[in-house]
Amino acid sequence: MAIRANPKLITELEIYGAQDVSKCYHCGNCSAICPFSKEPYIFPRRSMRSLQMGLEAKLESDLEPWLCYYCGECSAECPRDAEPGETMMSLRRWLTARYDFTGIARLFYLSAKAEILAVILVALITGAGFLLYGFSQGSITQYNGPDAFLPASSIHIFDWILAAVLLALLLTNCARMWWFTVGRDTKVHVPLSAYITKIYLLPMHFFTQMRYARCEQKRPWVIHLVLMLSYVTMLVLIMFFLAPMWSGPAIDWRVHVFGLAATAGLLVTTIVFLRKRLKKTEVQYQHSHETDWMFLVLLIVVAATGLMQFTLHRVGLETAANINYVIHMMAVVPMLLLEVPFSKWSHMAYRPLAMYFADLKTEAMVSKEREAVRAPQAA
Amino acid sequence: MTFEPRIVGFLCNWCSYTGADLAGTSRIHYAPNVRIIRVMCSARIDPTFVLKALHDGADGVLICGCHPGDCHYSEGNYKMMRRYPLLKSLLADYGIEDERVRLEWISASEGQRFADIVNDMTERVRALGPSPVKAALEADLAER
Amino acid sequence: MEDLKIGVFVCNCGTNIAKVIDCDAVIDSVERLPYVAVARTYKYMCSDPGQDMIQADIQEYGLDRVVVAACSPRMHEPTFRKALQKAGLNPYFLEMANIREQCSWVHDDPLAATEKAAALTAAAVMRVAHHEALERRSVDMCPNTLVIGGGIAGMSAALDLADAGNRVYLVERSDHLGGNVARADLTAPYLDSARDMLTERVTRVVRHPNIDVLLESQVRKVDGFVGNFQTTIRGKADDGAPSDRVYDIGSVIVCTGYKEFDASRITHYGYGKLPNVVTSFELEKMLRAGRVTTKDGKIPQYVAIIHCVGSRNLEFHAYCSRVCCMTALKYAHEIKSAVPGAYVSDIYIDMHAFGKGMEDFYRRSSEIKTLFLMYEKNDYPVIRKADATDDCDMLIEVNEILSGETIELPADLVVLMVGMEAREDSAEVAHLVNISRDKDGWFIESHPKLDPVATTTDGVYIAGACQAPKDIPDSVAQARAAAARILARTARGRIEIDAVFAEVDEERCSGCRMCNELCPYVAIEFDAETRRSHVISALCKACGACAAACPSGAISARHFTDRQIFAEIEGVLA
Repeated sequence: MAIRANPKLITELEIYGAQDVSKCYHCGNCSAICPFSKEPYIFPRRSMRSLQMGLEAKLESDLEPWLCYYCGECSAECPRDAEPGETMMSLRRWLTARYDFTGIARLFYLSAKAEILAVILVALITGAGFLLYGFSQGSITQYNGPDAFLPASSIHIFDWILAAVLLALLLTNCARMWWFTVGRDTKVHVPLSAYITKIYLLPMHFFTQMRYARCEQKRPWVIHLVLMLSYVTMLVLIMFFLAPMWSGPAIDWRVHVFGLAATAGLLVTTIVFLRKRLKKTEVQYQHSHETDWMFLVLLIVVAATGLMQFTLHRVGLETAANINYVIHMMAVVPMLLLEVPFSKWSHMAYRPLAMYFADLKTEAMVSKEREAVRAPQAA
Repeated sequence: MTFEPRIVGFLCNWCSYTGADLAGTSRIHYAPNVRIIRVMCSARIDPTFVLKALHDGADGVLICGCHPGDCHYSEGNYKMMRRYPLLKSLLADYGIEDERVRLEWISASEGQRFADIVNDMTERVRALGPSPVKAALEADLAER
Repeated sequence: MEDLKIGVFVCNCGTNIAKVIDCDAVIDSVERLPYVAVARTYKYMCSDPGQDMIQADIQEYGLDRVVVAACSPRMHEPTFRKALQKAGLNPYFLEMANIREQCSWVHDDPLAATEKAAALTAAAVMRVAHHEALERRSVDMCPNTLVIGGGIAGMSAALDLADAGNRVYLVERSDHLGGNVARADLTAPYLDSARDMLTERVTRVVRHPNIDVLLESQVRKVDGFVGNFQTTIRGKADDGAPSDRVYDIGSVIVCTGYKEFDASRITHYGYGKLPNVVTSFELEKMLRAGRVTTKDGKIPQYVAIIHCVGSRNLEFHAYCSRVCCMTALKYAHEIKSAVPGAYVSDIYIDMHAFGKGMEDFYRRSSEIKTLFLMYEKNDYPVIRKADATDDCDMLIEVNEILSGETIELPADLVVLMVGMEAREDSAEVAHLVNISRDKDGWFIESHPKLDPVATTTDGVYIAGACQAPKDIPDSVAQARAAAARILARTARGRIEIDAVFAEVDEERCSGCRMCNELCPYVAIEFDAETRRSHVISALCKACGACAAACPSGAISARHFTDRQIFAEIEGVLA
């Protein structure tokens, strides 16, 4: 069966950040140098090819873009400067938009203005909402206690509702991802038992990013890991230890040690990444899409206001602390509600999932071949 | 010891000799049994050359010229074409087997074809065995 | 025979000969032959030290004859003849034994090859003993040149010859100059205008006082020999009737060019059936007119270009037509500039980007977002009409090897890069000037590497695509090379031609006149008074037909006498 080629797709991908894909003349140096490219997932050349020819259905079902950590070696090796690394990045953005059933992701990627507007809108609504709530049931000068402007218990409920909403969206998109990449693949069948036995891969990739450690340059892995673990630590603290964090004036050291460490991690790594992108220090930072900036800007605002929060509270400037908290939430809510399911953040789910799926599919293909060898008449 | 026939080849300078050179530049290998004598045109080949070669011990004679219509001297190969049947009938009268003397048209670009013809002829003459001429001459000499 | 001294020189040719043939064993076997005064080997006999060695030995040993066992005489016979001449020996006292092209390069058994080499060398020794001193003839060199074909090659050659002060007769079959370049719009890789290039040439040619441009004319006959040809050219008289005229010329340059492959012969491209499948030349027409459209006048959204149509194909022509790959890239650029929103795909087997600026041109073509699709030789794309609901006119199915997928590519316009073929009249032209054609119909050069413009017929040169598919730079280079070769001769005013011709021994001639009819050059005259035939040596081309036919044995073919050949036969069978 011939697959219909669509030469127009490449024009669409340019909006997602694809650079100079047409220059690729398929020497294969990129796939050769890639530390992760291994049968049956050879990239980035194959992805470049599918994109050049506009094989949409094939690209949508590909796991390869997620198996890439953008070490940039491929772009450095490319004799034609066809930027395979950035192409893989643009494919990740495109896939994020494809997996999302709402169409919001697509909107954000195609229009930076739309994303900025949405973030501002959500921020303003959040700000207004919190202020209204606070004024309606408390005093802006009170941080803790019965008259607190924003009591920990209420915030806690809000946080859980927010988590539920974004999880619902994110998980739906993940299910769509599974369907595109594994579910509807008629050639490879993964048995249920495999899903269960290999489930450990998900947390393993998520928490250690061990594949990234296989790159030649170790520092990117370290910085990214610190960023990610800081973020996750912060998330866990907020979801489960909000009350101790909120409490005062006595300090619960167990919580605050982690909190400060996580904040420090977030601030340092975010500044490092911002600097790299501004100065274009390495291959993978030559090109920055609006979504890349949005990601880092929101993160740094969240981390900075978070630190400010801690300081203001401990110092005793309760009014300032409350106002700061509102600002903090004006950054947190858009981040969690918009960025996680619909933009760059979603890679934290898609990537570990892709590695898990890739492993499952590889196993399935290998055992299928083994069976074919054992019983050639049946095959 | 397998019998190695000795075959004399008369090749015209413009087409067949050049074709044999082309087999050389193309490094196409063939049997070493043919020894080539260059003439300017196949028309130069006097039937006595063929007889002399057979008399002096050749087991076979290969005559090559340009393809009809392509002779460098426009009609030379036609002259060879006319002589050849007469020569063959004379040789038949002498009891010399048909496959020992052969006429082929080879162009300057037919290096492979030249090699194929040499190989083919070598095998055919090998199958026929040594030329009867030598034995006959020796017997004649012994009688005297 | 007087006491002769023969020198035998066996060349190693580096390892070309020495790797297979034991040259010392050859020396040993020839040393025993009568009259051999010295026998030695050397690494490269044709080199200066090699030739010096031969000359030194001639002096030292007082050699009368020289045998060089080395490459083919077609390669170096002139070289060694010159060496003999420099040492004061008649150049025809040389004989070469071909132990390279016809021995070491074609046999792998060293023993058999050495034995054969020894036999060939012995044959040369026995032959050379019967060589006679021959003097080369000097004849006038007519400075006029006939150039057949008024394309870019013909015009370039004509201009160089005419600028040097020589008369040129430029014969062109059609009614205009410019040939196939006149059908093109721009040229690769710098997208220069073909028209500008040609206009400059045509203007200079037409205005040049030394060039006679004969349009709508054909060459009917070429008689004579180098420096002394007569050619009959049929043109059109004022009333339109054909009129013949004879011209005296010294040289001929054949620049008849090529014709394009007929694309309808490949059925799965649908040429001739699908209206929007066109050839490269048909696209040139559109480009020259400044509009690229489909048959019904619409602007195409998808354009596909297919390479190797009729070339690199066992069914039609196995060779590569050389220019099509870069021309296809040129079209990618031109189409993108004529129709800025078009999606251009280039469907090829290999990208032959061999010349100056070509690899960069290829890179620039991908920078303008041309989609390159690779297919395997003999696994052709198939074009079919799309459905009415599709957004394109046709669909091309390609087994694309860079991805390993079979894809269907949309196309509104398909351009077939048709290959080059020898013209139908090339056989006629070859016969007229007495040159040969190879199996594809291209004219054969004297030596594929070292002598690309001369032919086996002295005085006749070939240039341009008629010799093999090539682009404009190479055609012009060849044309100007041919012109330079001719100028080197005309500058001297007289030329030396070979001393080899037939001679009648009038004592033996019986006056039967058989030879008169046999000679294709009508070079043998019968003297009614003496009742004897004699050869007009200037006209004789030394084929030897008369020598073989003479019943009285009165005609000897110089340098190919019966005695010499008999000696060679003896040597080869010794």
